[in-house]
Amino acid sequence: MQFNRIRRGVCAFAVAALASGGFVSAAMAQSVTVNFLSAQNDDVFQPVIDAFEAANPDIDVVHQTVPFDELNTAIETRVARGDGTIDVYAADTPRIPAFASRGYLLNLDDAKDKITGAVPSAVELELVSHGGSVWAYPMWTSTQLMYFNRDLLKAAKLEMPEGGTSARMTWEQVTANAKAAQDAGAEWGVMFQQVDRYYQLQALFESSGAGNGLTGDDLLEPAMNGDKWVETAQWYADIFENGLAPRGVSPSQTDDLFARGKVAYYIAGPWAIAAFNAAEGLDYGVAPHPYFEGGKQVTPTGAWALGINPHADNLEAARKFAEFVTLTAEGSFLTTKNFPLIPVNAGGFEKYGVAIGEMTPKIGPALDIMAHEGMETAVARPRTVGFVAFETEMNRMFSDVRNGADVKQALDDTQSRLTGLLPRQR
Amino acid sequence: MTRSRKMMILFMFLGPTLAAVILLRLWPASMAVLESLYAPRAQTMSLENYAYIFGDPLFQKSILVTLIYSIIVNPLQIAIALALALLLNVSIPLIGLWRTLILLPVAIPQSVSAVVWGIGLRPDGPVNGLLVALGLGEQRFLTSPDQALGSIILIVSWIGIGYWMTFLLAGLQDIPKSLYEAIRIDGANRWQQFRYITLPQLRRTLTFVLVANTVSNFLVFAPVQILTQGGPQGSTNLIMNDIYTRGFVWGDSSSASAATVVLVSLVLLVVVMQFRLMRAPEDNAA
Repeated sequence: MQFNRIRRGVCAFAVAALASGGFVSAAMAQSVTVNFLSAQNDDVFQPVIDAFEAANPDIDVVHQTVPFDELNTAIETRVARGDGTIDVYAADTPRIPAFASRGYLLNLDDAKDKITGAVPSAVELELVSHGGSVWAYPMWTSTQLMYFNRDLLKAAKLEMPEGGTSARMTWEQVTANAKAAQDAGAEWGVMFQQVDRYYQLQALFESSGAGNGLTGDDLLEPAMNGDKWVETAQWYADIFENGLAPRGVSPSQTDDLFARGKVAYYIAGPWAIAAFNAAEGLDYGVAPHPYFEGGKQVTPTGAWALGINPHADNLEAARKFAEFVTLTAEGSFLTTKNFPLIPVNAGGFEKYGVAIGEMTPKIGPALDIMAHEGMETAVARPRTVGFVAFETEMNRMFSDVRNGADVKQALDDTQSRLTGLLPRQR
Repeated sequence: MTRSRKMMILFMFLGPTLAAVILLRLWPASMAVLESLYAPRAQTMSLENYAYIFGDPLFQKSILVTLIYSIIVNPLQIAIALALALLLNVSIPLIGLWRTLILLPVAIPQSVSAVVWGIGLRPDGPVNGLLVALGLGEQRFLTSPDQALGSIILIVSWIGIGYWMTFLLAGLQDIPKSLYEAIRIDGANRWQQFRYITLPQLRRTLTFVLVANTVSNFLVFAPVQILTQGGPQGSTNLIMNDIYTRGFVWGDSSSASAATVVLVSLVLLVVVMQFRLMRAPEDNAA
């Protein structure tokens, strides 16, 4: 009897201990949170976060978003200072060499096989590598399209641009048509989505033969005040000076102007399709990115990858999330649901292709253009540890030029500043 | 009470403050000075960072822009704040409403004010709409190197004037009425009342407002970062924006530290000069 009571007591204790242990471990398991920092709106990542959380009930993902221009500051102030509360962050691929050399990214060499299995393009692997190691999970790539407003072109009796890449318009034609569209009532003739960002404007200088602006073994010497640079920058300055494009509008405000039917020709990434499809009364189409007459056909490329903070509080959960987003077909496709940027994951791209292909009758062969540009005309941004500093100064120069600064002076000033600045980034 | 017990109580009360001063002020300041002496990847101390920033046209211009900005913005804000304080110190109808309206911008975060003004001053924005409606020409405001600094001064003053006015108004209300009665009996006019009673009595408040306003204007950052990032053509690259760009955008923390040391030295120099200028003759005699 006594023995039974003791046995019952021990059993009860064991059950209670197990139960409480289980409860505690369940509570602990539920408390794993992955903090994810990006420059995209919440709705971009919400579908993939929902799917990941459904598959991993023990991990919560908290998305923190900052404006594009603030992302670098957030990484410098948080990741660089050893803050472990950022686990995963979105890194623009040309910034990876700088981040890797400063110790802001976890080495991912152990995931190399997994990455090459899911992302077969060697170029994409190269974009997330530095010094022979892999530092981030490739997520998206990009290109730029020329959007046009059918109503505004119709009003100006202009021909609709053809969707085929063999009928690519020249900048000379686009600016002449833009003027005609404006004379017929369009508020603005031609606009760039990212008015003062190197990512979108590099293609102009590559097309005219000016080059990417950097030279030397480590691409740490500026070369951006030659005649071709001045000539091309002057062309860019003139579209603002002549009133074809508006001054004082920031990149976050440009999509809205096209969506509201105020712009005849508009250069933007494929992700803008989501916003334009949602814009009521906007009848638009897509055509290939223009080039300068007699120059090269060049388009921007490169996009975001996911990096892991080496000081992350939850390294394992962070990697699990990053791998779901980039290395699974489902996760990869879901990142494009509200933000149709091109996924580099093979399975994700297939699903993306179907979704974009369905829009062809309405907007034109966007998918064919993207596939062609990715293979034939894409030129990546220079990969150097000095890229962040270079990009910032170039953006500042573009901003000055579009706001009316003397072009030669602005280029000379930037050249001289970068000459002092870039060697310090080594 | 023994001496050691007294010291213990003293430390109990002062300890947290001392710890905060050391941890939050002296330690980071020392680290900044130390970091400013190491060039990127250097193992030994040198003045290379200082040589680099003083040879950098961007930094030279940022010092110049900061000085021009300070020379304009401080007297402007204090003069308008003082004028408003004098106006609101007399009994005019609806005095509470006017005071609230003038103080209202202070309650709005500086970043929000900057965003609102940014939209207002856009080339196709409402301010230009108003100017055109009044038959005046459109202005470029933040996109023009000639007008951007003026636009920043306008925005910063819109926020600052009400704040500084509050201190001056409190100072005015502390002046004994009997002094005004006495000077009026002696036949003084309004200007003489202002010159011989108001200004000398307001000296301490004015000194505080001048020094605090100067320091806060040296450290202005949010409107510049949000609206111009130092442009166009460096015309609004105030020194705080320059330090931020070096440290947090280029990732060059050593030149940012050197620029910070220069900024602190500059602020100290100006504040010491202001204290000397505002000292009353009787203080000098003492």
